Amino acid sequence: MAQLRKRGLIAAVVCSDKFMRLGSAQAKVFGVPDLPLLEIQHPLGGLSMEDVRKRAAVALPQLHKVIAEKRR
Amino acid sequence: MSSLEQMLQQPGAMVECDDDPEAVYELLCEKGWSDGLPVIPPTPERVERMLAYCDRDLDQPVVKIPPRYGAATPIRIAANAVMAGCKPEYFPLVLLALEALAEEPYNLYGTQATTHPCTPLLIFNGPVAAEVGLNSGHNVMGNYFRANAAIGRAVRLALVNIGAAIPGVGDMATTGTPAKFTFCIAENEAGNPWEPLHVERGLPRESTAVTVVAAEGPHNVNDHESLTPEGILTMVAGTMAITGSNNPYYPSQPVLAFGPEHAATAASGGMSKAEVKRWLYEHATLPLSKWSAEGIERRFRRKIPERFANATPDTPVHMWWNPEDLLIVVTGGAGKHSQYIPTFGNTRAVTRALKHANGEYVKSVRDLKRG
Repeated sequence: MAQLRKRGLIAAVVCSDKFMRLGSAQAKVFGVPDLPLLEIQHPLGGLSMEDVRKRAAVALPQLHKVIAEKRR
Repeated sequence: MSSLEQMLQQPGAMVECDDDPEAVYELLCEKGWSDGLPVIPPTPERVERMLAYCDRDLDQPVVKIPPRYGAATPIRIAANAVMAGCKPEYFPLVLLALEALAEEPYNLYGTQATTHPCTPLLIFNGPVAAEVGLNSGHNVMGNYFRANAAIGRAVRLALVNIGAAIPGVGDMATTGTPAKFTFCIAENEAGNPWEPLHVERGLPRESTAVTVVAAEGPHNVNDHESLTPEGILTMVAGTMAITGSNNPYYPSQPVLAFGPEHAATAASGGMSKAEVKRWLYEHATLPLSKWSAEGIERRFRRKIPERFANATPDTPVHMWWNPEDLLIVVTGGAGKHSQYIPTFGNTRAVTRALKHANGEYVKSVRDLKRG
């Protein structure tokens, strides 16, 4: 994702709330401190499909916002 | 001016503190530079002494340690080795272990950041291991022996302080393991009825080597009764057969650390190490039905369809994928105990020899002394 971001493409990482600090630190390490992190509730592993859809519903508006900002 | 003196002149390179053990301990804990236990203050004089057996450029990175990808220069590693309680002659083995960990197959990024409770198990072979006093006898995985305690601890401190494997930030281990303080052993080569680990992995017997494994803590195999190879191996296989390990999901390399007496019993019928591995591979199994319905569907059927897409509930699940991938090491003292050590799974063990800059194997740590 860092490489895609550096090439100017729209790129974002879905990240659960418990992993936001790791995600943020890694974005800085890889030279893209502004890499958008789409925050969802932890956990992601071991979910039913219904719960996965709920997570996606939370992430999707954040992705729309990233895309809209990039197009401005 | 030496590299160390130059480095110490950079802003932020030095912190000052009262010359008092408790004050130093408080400061280093506050800064997050300790593992929670007291450390030796890494003063410039001590760091310089630590580098007495280092034949590298002192300020050139030996490796970069994720997740921060911090530059692990000999000076920085030496500061951590001082804090851990290393003698200067341990330092080449600390460097060797870090170089092995940084090799691609080990997957240092994954093992540092994962929720899984893995940590580097350092297995040393060869003359320099014995020369610096690494224990391979009684209580080899326990306390008391300085070289084992300090070399493993120095590596761990470097992984945290240089690599930023900070719990909750860069190290996401759910529970971790007490092995994260130190997990460093030597093979009991005299008690090994087969070839030593480093020889099996392609190195000459007279070389010194480390084999690094992304290990869980060990689990004991108690067997005071078995008198035959089949007997002792039945008990080992039973201990290996568990549902909560990562190893059945990957082409992984778990470790069997035989106590010398168990190893002698296992070898008493003439079985080679390879034959022992195959026997254990075939017998350390559980039926698929022992996993939860969700685990069978998500882990086995979807992720390993070539083996499990249509597998029946009584299909045997092997504890690792390829018979030869079990790592067997012989270590410890007298007694009827061995240890089974599952791993992170998505990792490969790396064996690396201690060499001079010209590529020759190091015969004695004294040959590495500067000046």
